[in-house]
Amino acid sequence: MVAEKSNKRWVLLSKARLDVTAAYQFLQAPTAGGIALFIGTTRQWTDGHETTLLMYEGYEPMAQKEMHRLLDVAMTRWPIHRACILHRLGEVPVTEASVLVGVATAHRPEAFEACRFLIDRLKVQVPIWKQEHLTHGQVNWIEGNEPPETTAT
Amino acid sequence: MSSFQVQLYSVLRSKLAAASVNLEAHDGVTTGELLDALCDHYPVMAPYRNIMRLAVNQEYALESRIIHAGDELALITPVSGG
Repeated sequence: MVAEKSNKRWVLLSKARLDVTAAYQFLQAPTAGGIALFIGTTRQWTDGHETTLLMYEGYEPMAQKEMHRLLDVAMTRWPIHRACILHRLGEVPVTEASVLVGVATAHRPEAFEACRFLIDRLKVQVPIWKQEHLTHGQVNWIEGNEPPETTAT
Repeated sequence: MSSFQVQLYSVLRSKLAAASVNLEAHDGVTTGELLDALCDHYPVMAPYRNIMRLAVNQEYALESRIIHAGDELALITPVSGG
């Protein structure tokens, strides 16, 4: 498990179940009148195929850095009091959470906007991949739709 | 010439059944040249040439970036976290 927490941001890659209550408690602040929480979970059915679990693999040190880079960008765009990105690695059974993105701001519009930005960019930039395990034993890597943006010089 | 080790993840790790590959390249090689050389050596990578990125020292590198001996390299196919 790789964890990093300050009083303003919390980034976590974990093989254990994600703790929604701990995320909510982290996001609570007297200045925050709006908290947006997005939780991505393992879905049982996709286009008629039944998933038994998803297995997540990450390039962990870089994934951690990319999650921080996304928070850096979000914090320059929106007045964020606290934010967290927690991602699970390893096996995630149906209904359990694979990712949790939370943002606390003074008012709700920027909480929703920043939360949407973080989960949408995470799905393009953060080097984590999922493998679906279907009933009857079939296993497939899920390949993303677009390549990450190159930002380094 | 220098030898570069490139980490593999996800679909490329499965297709090549290896966690990394090694490739010889000339000093001053760029990211784009190394990606081309990898696809020449490992045809299974070729379909990914235009959609994969090389991470250099844990950052997505432009194709013009020059790679130095000792840089940490990883091939990143389109990600699917979340």
